Amino acid sequence: MSDEQPGDRRAAALPRLSTGSRELDEILGGGFPTNSINIIMGEPGSGKTILAERLMFANAGDDRPILFFTTLSEPLAKVVRYLQEFEFFQEAKLVSGAVIYDSLGEDLATEGVKGLVPRLKEAIKTLSPKIIVIDSFKAIHDLSSSVPEMRRMLYEVAGLMTAYDTTVFLVGEYDEQMIPSLPEFAVADGIVELARRKQGTRDERYLRVLKLRGSHYQEGLHAFRINARGLEVYPRLTSPEVPTDYSNDRRRVSTGVTGLDQMLRGGFWVGSSTLIQGSTGSGKTTLALQFVLDGLTRGEPGLYLNFQENPTQLARSIEGLGMNVDEAKARGLHLMYASPVELQIDSILVKLFGIIKERGIKRVAVDAVGDLVHASSDLPRVLGYLYALSQHFSARKIASVMTLETSDVGLGPIAGHVSAMSDAILRVAVERVHDRSRRVLQVIKARGTEHDLDVREFVITGKGLDMVP
Amino acid sequence: MAAEGSRDVGGRLLVLVVERDPHIRELEAHFLELAGFAIEFAADGKAALELARKVLPDVIITEILVPKLDGLALCRQIKSDPVTSGISVLIFSILAASARAKDAGADAFLSKPLADHRLVDTVQTLLEQRRRSEPKEHT
Repeated sequence: MSDEQPGDRRAAALPRLSTGSRELDEILGGGFPTNSINIIMGEPGSGKTILAERLMFANAGDDRPILFFTTLSEPLAKVVRYLQEFEFFQEAKLVSGAVIYDSLGEDLATEGVKGLVPRLKEAIKTLSPKIIVIDSFKAIHDLSSSVPEMRRMLYEVAGLMTAYDTTVFLVGEYDEQMIPSLPEFAVADGIVELARRKQGTRDERYLRVLKLRGSHYQEGLHAFRINARGLEVYPRLTSPEVPTDYSNDRRRVSTGVTGLDQMLRGGFWVGSSTLIQGSTGSGKTTLALQFVLDGLTRGEPGLYLNFQENPTQLARSIEGLGMNVDEAKARGLHLMYASPVELQIDSILVKLFGIIKERGIKRVAVDAVGDLVHASSDLPRVLGYLYALSQHFSARKIASVMTLETSDVGLGPIAGHVSAMSDAILRVAVERVHDRSRRVLQVIKARGTEHDLDVREFVITGKGLDMVP
Repeated sequence: MAAEGSRDVGGRLLVLVVERDPHIRELEAHFLELAGFAIEFAADGKAALELARKVLPDVIITEILVPKLDGLALCRQIKSDPVTSGISVLIFSILAASARAKDAGADAFLSKPLADHRLVDTVQTLLEQRRRSEPKEHT
């Protein structure tokens, strides 16, 4: 047939199945397409079964049941026992038969891999399942006596599962090297990998979509944590699809320091990102905090993200600038403290954007960027995040400052990259001339504006940083 | 209730399934038989046309992508022949061809994959529509 008509083209996108996690659904381009065969792969303990079970309970309803088959790896009772530890577990759905746990162990033990297709066919005919999960499918693979036998079985499984309106998840302890050689990957419409990487004294978990037919999914490593809710996923931060040109917006925001506003001919541009660099004790934190507090006096909610000072220490610093911390919070200040010990850049940024959206934040300070760099084993990843972060701020018309400790050893080329992506760079320092020390500030760079090139002296008073006339 | 001239198989209405995929054939047969229908199969359009003329099924369920005579051409021929024009035709295809199915004279269109309840409901609706459109007997 060649007489296709416009009315025949599929108007709607592929129907999709939610994973139960809004963030993971976003990564997948809306969830897993229905009537697809998907592989969830990863080493033991990587969270594969939890991902599958969360998805099962999120989709279990009054219509068609959801089937979970164990194979020859874990006893059924053990799977169900651990399932009950999670908040998404609903006993009523097990009791009502909306979710059915069953074992293929006996069929496989007696029939080998040939036992699978008749059992699946029987399940379809008697239960009409909406979703079928087989965990572990790798155990079935290991049971096959030859590659041709496995291929024949998979051909049958794929044909059956494509013919019937069900969505299949094959869970297995596969690794990336197996993908080109194992036949199950050839029949899969979707492949999601879960991985774990040791980072200092803690583990970082990552999720990656390797394949998802018919889907505009987000590539790359997405961090996640396992908690009582299942997998808490933090989609990788990428630059906004349409970068904004902040130079079109001729508005300025005050830096919070009158003399500095004059040096910049009116302050920072709206939506611009500024790097404040300097050594310890040079006044970086004071300037960053002052910038955020100044916004509060102008009705602009602000967010201060820091990794060094705990909330008590920070409250003291705010009061040192002449503002009561409760009053500041009432005016729209949000303090976000992330311990350097537990730092995972993805989770921090997801929280940060959540607060920005929720509170209508207009000014952001990140103090200090070096702590983010040190917390990650993957420097290019941090660099990509920082770039994307500044692009998102720009797109949202948020003026931001980031502090950078210049004496910080180990930052290496990152410092140069961070400088390059900043719209403006301020240098603060304590200079010693003979027996006298003085604080100085210099505008190193300010895109799109003429600025004062001179090194200017400033003092820190009870109200913060003040330029010396 | 069977159409005039159709074969009522042991009190069951007859559905002719035109399908090459063995899995779909098996599942269609299972769910339709479970719903009380008798089933005949054809694996290509030409064989289906011959069989339809011979057994006069109540409903034909056909994929478009079948050999020798595609499902849409089969539908046109069924609908243009006064002997078979009363048979309800359901196009059940992997192709997004709802408009083409309608143009070919099909009574209904369903997209694959097979969803048992949707398939059985559609067949029953077609039979109900035909029953309503038949002239009532005078008593």
